[in-house]
Amino acid sequence: MKSLTTSLMIAVGLGILMAAPVQAAWPEKPVKVIVPFKPGGSSDQTARTFQKAIVDNNLMSQKLTIVNVGGHYTIGSRQVLEAKPDGYTFLLIHKALMGAQGAGMIDFGYADFEPVAETSEFCLLSCVRKGDKRFTDVNSLLKMATDKPDSLIFGANLGALNHMAGIQLQNTTPGANFRFVQIGGGTANFTALIGEQTDTTVLSMAEYLNFKVKGVKGLCYMFPTRAPDAPEVPTCEEAGLGKLVYCVGSWWFAPKGTPKEAVDGLADVLAKAMETDYVQTMLKKKAMAPTFTRGAAFAKKLDATYKIVEPTAKQAGQKKKK
Amino acid sequence: MAPLFEGITHILTPIPFLLVGLGTFLGIIGGAIPGITGAMMIALTLPLTFNMIPGNALALLIGMYVGAISGGLITATLMRMPGTPAAVMTTFDGYPMARAGQPGRALGFGIAASFVGGIISWIFLVLVSEPLSDLATRFGPFEYFTLVVMAMVLIASVSQGSMVKGLLSGALGMLVAMPGVDPAAGGFPRLTWDVLYLNGGLGLLPVLIGVFAVSQLIADIVDIDRTIERTKFSTKGILMSFKDWKNQAWNMLRSSVIGTWIGILPGIGANIGSIVAYTTAKNMSKTPEKFGTGSEEGIVASESANNATIGGALIPLIAMGIPGSVIDAILIGALMIHAIQPGPTLFLNNPEIVYAMISACLLANIMMYGIMTSSVGKIAQLMFTPRAYVLPPILVFCVIGSFALNNLFFDVWVMLGFGIFGYFLERSKVPLGPFVIGFVLAPIAESKLRSGLMMTDGDFSPVVTRPLPLIFVIISIILLFWPFYQDWKKARNNNAKG
Repeated sequence: MKSLTTSLMIAVGLGILMAAPVQAAWPEKPVKVIVPFKPGGSSDQTARTFQKAIVDNNLMSQKLTIVNVGGHYTIGSRQVLEAKPDGYTFLLIHKALMGAQGAGMIDFGYADFEPVAETSEFCLLSCVRKGDKRFTDVNSLLKMATDKPDSLIFGANLGALNHMAGIQLQNTTPGANFRFVQIGGGTANFTALIGEQTDTTVLSMAEYLNFKVKGVKGLCYMFPTRAPDAPEVPTCEEAGLGKLVYCVGSWWFAPKGTPKEAVDGLADVLAKAMETDYVQTMLKKKAMAPTFTRGAAFAKKLDATYKIVEPTAKQAGQKKKK
Repeated sequence: MAPLFEGITHILTPIPFLLVGLGTFLGIIGGAIPGITGAMMIALTLPLTFNMIPGNALALLIGMYVGAISGGLITATLMRMPGTPAAVMTTFDGYPMARAGQPGRALGFGIAASFVGGIISWIFLVLVSEPLSDLATRFGPFEYFTLVVMAMVLIASVSQGSMVKGLLSGALGMLVAMPGVDPAAGGFPRLTWDVLYLNGGLGLLPVLIGVFAVSQLIADIVDIDRTIERTKFSTKGILMSFKDWKNQAWNMLRSSVIGTWIGILPGIGANIGSIVAYTTAKNMSKTPEKFGTGSEEGIVASESANNATIGGALIPLIAMGIPGSVIDAILIGALMIHAIQPGPTLFLNNPEIVYAMISACLLANIMMYGIMTSSVGKIAQLMFTPRAYVLPPILVFCVIGSFALNNLFFDVWVMLGFGIFGYFLERSKVPLGPFVIGFVLAPIAESKLRSGLMMTDGDFSPVVTRPLPLIFVIISIILLFWPFYQDWKKARNNNAKG
């Protein structure tokens, strides 16, 4: 009996000894980040930028592996939702998740994950064709959308980020109404715009910088301050549209129930990675704002964002049923 | 011209140069081995290029394209079996000439004709793509929609077998493209039966690998003991004599232009190009009776045309984002996987990619000529590798290739499913070309049409009131009813005779 007790005690003691470092020493195996988009997209590039900064600067004792789950982004997101909350699976996604949630396309949402951090964001600009004499500034665009509702063609990817940004833009002016037409992402919208198939669209700052010499004019920037690379474009607030901000942040989530040390652990690593020259240079190159929020502040920001996204997403969804 | 020279200089730097060479070499071997087609090789190579920069990836794939279309002539000539479908017409004259004791000469004609076809179509590629892309930026959704409809009717009407089977195949392809998140209505899933994995639709790569590679593997396995005819081989006459060049010059030029033109037509490529050029050469020949018995003209017509379709088919791909052939449909997939949006602004946004592709096409043709003339004998040996060794590794590649892009095992099941599906389609003599074109083009057609309807508030009339769409619609209707009219005329003539 005594020997049994002893061995049990040793076992328990060993267990405690073993367990303690497990808790303290996250991570003890490679950490997997699921990017629910194809390789090469903007989320994938962000993930890989951070991965490189973490490896090059030895910010984590274990490897960070990136797994691109293609198909629709809801597939990879659900994989993380259902993953074991052991602190070794994370998700990198953006506002699109809220769009799908708000429109009722998926039966889960941002609140079903543990928020880790937001690292950087890119913001959109309202754009028209250069040389389109009808529009001198964003107010003339919105005035025409009010005077002749449902006639100005707004190129968008219906239900997606640029569509919701367009809805928020028209909502600044009572009675303004664009005709949203399915075109697609940035390049497709640029093509349709200069091909005179559409009248207006929104582009990300990086897209705008790429296309501006090729015939695009920015009307207002949906961010509180002007962009250093595009000082010629006023902010939407300067243009008199109130606090119209539309940015898309890179959001890192963990499955619900992930241990706090893992959530904080990754947030710490990301915070350190944010400060590296490599990440800063890459963000500057992609005209992204170096925002970083975590913990309660991040959770609060998510709630505030969803308050705006939910009605917009519903509005975007309703439009289709018309 | 300056960007073109920049592109050529770039392609001559070590890595792109080696990739084009490797692609061409592997393409020739794959093209030469019966049962491995260009489309299959390129679909399988695509996943290996994920980590390359896009220009290099395209250089490798285009080298493979040129090699595969060219390599088929070796088997066609020496074994009377087309190494790729594009070389079918070459068997008619290449094999008889080889049997008659001139295998080297038969191959020489084929290789030289392939080279000339490739170069002539390349010149068209350089001259036509950019003006056409300028024009295409003015294309609205209705122009695109009707153009795509025309492409689908075109491939259905000219593919082998009956028109009805061609249309059926195209319709099946369109159907397979339907599940997934609706491309034009606020991102809601449709036809997914609540299977989450179907939200992204059926993947291009798993479907292509299934339909082209796995179905062919199944066919090869079923038929594993097939014996092949072969002729003795010598390289005598591999370089064409000056006299032959002189005699064939006009035929080469004509067949190359035909091939280029067929290539430009969306959706159809090397097989059709070589058939049309062969038929034309026969009709215009002073000695049409020699066709099918070892005619030099026949080999030259078939081979210059099938290679000429490559440059031709790249024209609509680069200028408009519309595939000029089935292989180009895979190349569009390659661009998209590398996050490059194909379409008329490709010249504006990614000129370096465009010129990398154009330069790779030139270099691949030159390398093809060098590799084929110098080592055709050794390549011919490879064809006798027992297929039992070749097939299992290919299947492994199929699985890896399907899995790698999305990291979803679901895609592997999709691949296997479409492999079986493709096998039965082929067995039922339903051509696979229209299926793939339907699959690739249906989403373009749908989203363009729906964009257009959103712009006009549901009004269809631009399809017939705008000039270009009207032309495309009229051509589509003619293409659709032409085969039926021909059948009817034939039946009437027979009745009159009877």
